[in-house]
Amino acid sequence: MSLHIRLQALGNARDTLLRQPIATALTIIALAVVFALPVGLFTALSNLQQLLASWHNQAQISLYLHDDASPQAVAQLRRQLQQSPGVVAVRFVDKNRALADFQRYAGMTAAIQTLGENPLPASLIVELNPLAQSPSSLEAQVQQWSHEPIVRSAQSDLKWVARLQAIVALGTRAVYILAILLALGAVLVMGNTIRLHIEQRRDEIEISSLVGATKSFIRRPFLYQGLIQGILAGFLAWLIVAIAFAILQGPVNHLASLYGTSFPLHALTVGEGFLLVLISAALGWLGSLVAVGRHLNNTVS
Amino acid sequence: MIEFINVTKHYPGRRHVLRELNLQLGKGEMALLTGPSGAGKSTLLKLLTRLEAVSHGTLRVAGVDLATLRRRHIPAYRRRVGVVFQDHKLLMDRTVYANVALTLQVAGMSARQLDHRVRAALDKVGLGEHWREFPETLSGGEQQRVGIARAIVHTPEILLADEPTGNLDPELSSEILDMFRDFYRHGTTVLVATHDQGQVDRMGVRTLHLAHGQLQEKA
Ligand SMILES: Nc1ncnc2c1ncn2[C@@H]1O[C@H](COP(=O)(O)OP(=O)(O)OP(=O)(O)O)[C@@H](O)[C@H]1O
Ligand SMILES: [Mg+2]
Repeated sequence: MSLHIRLQALGNARDTLLRQPIATALTIIALAVVFALPVGLFTALSNLQQLLASWHNQAQISLYLHDDASPQAVAQLRRQLQQSPGVVAVRFVDKNRALADFQRYAGMTAAIQTLGENPLPASLIVELNPLAQSPSSLEAQVQQWSHEPIVRSAQSDLKWVARLQAIVALGTRAVYILAILLALGAVLVMGNTIRLHIEQRRDEIEISSLVGATKSFIRRPFLYQGLIQGILAGFLAWLIVAIAFAILQGPVNHLASLYGTSFPLHALTVGEGFLLVLISAALGWLGSLVAVGRHLNNTVS
Repeated sequence: MIEFINVTKHYPGRRHVLRELNLQLGKGEMALLTGPSGAGKSTLLKLLTRLEAVSHGTLRVAGVDLATLRRRHIPAYRRRVGVVFQDHKLLMDRTVYANVALTLQVAGMSARQLDHRVRAALDKVGLGEHWREFPETLSGGEQQRVGIARAIVHTPEILLADEPTGNLDPELSSEILDMFRDFYRHGTTVLVATHDQGQVDRMGVRTLHLAHGQLQEKA
C-alpha cells in the first residue's frame, strides 16, 4: 500500500487529536501516570537490589581451616572460591589475626593468655552478593566448601539471605501484578477514548463506507490515534519517573550519609526508556484495536 | 448494466417489500423510480449500493453479482457507483472541497492526484467558487449539489439518487434533475427515485412505478 495513504491517515489522526487538545492531553496524562507507577516501582526495586547487592559484607561465610593446611592449599582454595558465582571477595584471616580480633572484640586477653597456645583457627571469609543465588543453592555450595580437605568447619547465617530474597521476590511479584493490572487499565483507557472518537465520527465513518472505503482505511486513523497517544504517554511517563527520581536523590543522599555511605539512584537508562515508550505505544495501539474491533462493525457494512 | 431477476426482499420479521421483481436498465440508460411512500424505492436503491442484501433472486450490476458478493469486495464495488441522498449526508465540519475529495481519498488517491478532479466536479455542479466554504454556509440546493459532486467525482459507471430533490423547491428540483439528465446524456447509467410527479412529467425519461413489490413501466 502506498505511503500517502498512511500519511493521510496519520494527518487525519493528528487533526482529530488536535481538534480536542484538552481531551487528548488528559488521555495522555492519564496513560502516563498509569505507566509511570509500575515503571517507577520497577526502577525503585532494581535500585533496592543494587543496594542489597552492595551489602555483601553482611552475607559472609567463614570457612575455618585445619592448622596443618599448607599455604599452597589455602591459596588454591581461595582462588577456587573467588571464581565461584556470587562471590564478591575472599579474605584470608591467619591465626594471629584471628587472635588479635578476638582479643579486641572479646576483651578476654587474660583468659587466652593462660592457654599459652593460640587456639583459634585460620579462616577464609567469603563475602557474597546475597541476591546472586537462591538460598538452597547457596546452602549446597557452603556444604560443598565445608567438605574441602583443609576446611575444618563452615559457619554462615543464610537465614538472613533467605529472608531478604523472599522479600525481594515478593516485591517483584507485587510489582508485576500491578504492572499487568495497570497495562490492562491503559488498554481500557485507550479503548474508551477511541470508542468516544468513533461515536463522534459515526457520520464520517458511515459516509466513507458508502463511498467505498475499506475497513482498514476506516480503522487506520483510529489506530494511529492510539499509537500517537501511546508514544506521547510513554515519553511523559519516562519524564515523570526521571523527575521523581531526581526529587528523591536529595533525601536518599542524606539518608545514605547517615549510614556513612553514598547511594546514587539510577533512573531509567535510555534503553529502558525507549522500551517503556515501545510498550506504551503497543498498548495504545492495542487499546484502539480493541475499540475499533468492537465498535466499528456496527457501523461499517 | 443493472439487472434484477425475480428479486425478493424482505426485512427480518416483515412482509415482503419487493417480490419477484424484474428490471433491466441498460448501459447509459436513465430511469426515474416512482411509487407511493413505503413502496420500497429506498429499499431497491439500498440493494444497489449493497447496504441491504437481496433475500432471493439475482441482482447483477456492471457485471457484479450482488447476491453472492463477498463482504470484503463491497468497498471496491461501491467505488464504481455514485450515490446521492435526500439528506445529502455531507460532513459539516469539512469544507466543500474535502467532502468531494473523500470519494477519491478512500480509493487511495493522493492529494495531488485528486485535486483537478475535485475542481472539475465542483465546476460541473456550478460550485467552483465555493470549494473553501463549509456546507453550513450553503443553501439547500447548493448542499445537494455538493452531494452530487461527491457522487460523480470519480466518474462512476452508475449514478443512483434517492429523492435528491425531496427537500428542494420546484425550481431547484428542476435544476438538480436536469443535472442528472446531463450525466445520462454523457453516458452514465442513472436511476433516480422521486415522488415528484410534476418533475416526472417534465423530464420525459423512462419511468418505473413501484407498487406492491413489483415494477411497472409507465409511458
Ligand atoms: N431497515 C428496515 N427494517 C425493517 N423494515 C424496513 C427497513 N427499511 C424499510 N423498511 C420497510 O420497508 C418498506 C419500504 O420502505 P422504503 O424506505 O424502501 O420505502 P420508500 O418507497 O423509499 O418510501 P418513501 O417514499 O417514504 O421514502 C416500508 O414498509 C418500511 O417500513
Ligand atoms: Mg425512501
